[in-house]
Amino acid sequence: MTARKWLPVLALVLVAAFPDQAHACAVCFDPRAENRFAFLATTVFLSLFPLSLVGGVGLWLRRRARELYGPSSGGDETDFVER
Amino acid sequence: MSDAASAVLPHDGRTEPRPTVKLLPDGVMGMLLFVFTEAMLFAGLISAHTIVKSGAAGQMWPPFGQPRLPVEETALNTAALLMSGIVLVFAQLAYRRRASRALGPLLVSVVLGMFFVVFQGVEWVALIGEGLTLQSSSYGGFFYLIVGTHAVHAIGAIACLAWAWLRLRAGRLTPAQFGTVQVLWYFVVLVWPVLYLRVYL
Repeated sequence: MTARKWLPVLALVLVAAFPDQAHACAVCFDPRAENRFAFLATTVFLSLFPLSLVGGVGLWLRRRARELYGPSSGGDETDFVER
Repeated sequence: MSDAASAVLPHDGRTEPRPTVKLLPDGVMGMLLFVFTEAMLFAGLISAHTIVKSGAAGQMWPPFGQPRLPVEETALNTAALLMSGIVLVFAQLAYRRRASRALGPLLVSVVLGMFFVVFQGVEWVALIGEGLTLQSSSYGGFFYLIVGTHAVHAIGAIACLAWAWLRLRAGRLTPAQFGTVQVLWYFVVLVWPVLYLRVYL
């Protein structure tokens, strides 16, 4: 590979190495620490919140399925009746 | 082999699943999905509010010249809404014993919910009179947006509760319908303390 072909890779590495230079949003990169922390905290919150909602209901449904179809109930949802 | 299982036996030698009980009624599942989307809406609003509040000029929140929110009065209103949710739990317990017994607690729940919304309306009129409007500042904008969005949900949920009460009185309210309405109201009740803590305090 010639040196010219490596230029895009080099540019990408440079951009990745200097992420501060890529900040364009005044909210994402506020000089005040409190605002930066608020941005980080809400990002984490908005990332984890939907996962916890869906995960919570998934676990609850699983537990309910075990109650309804578990061994103590005499069968499960994949229990097939053979003739 | 039970009679129910025998009833679904095919005649061509294949196997078929035995009849199963639903994990959740369709209505409750649908309402849960709706509530999840609405929870994300409120999460987004609260996040935006948190960032704007933290970046407020001079760390002044509420901004200079803007009226303070009625924290104590709204605490009372919050108690009324929480009580409405608790009474609805009693309504569910009564419904399990005998459906008609839930009429009283369900009506109390509706009335407490209506009290909450009317109290909010009175509060808004007073705040607008004091100069807090949607355009007066980001403080006012967020207040009316977040609290107003919750009020819209509360009004919709109260309408559902009233519909459930009418059906119950007519003896036509099914457990699935009652469960669906309860999911919506519990969401309205439980999201409010979070909004109160973030917006008012």
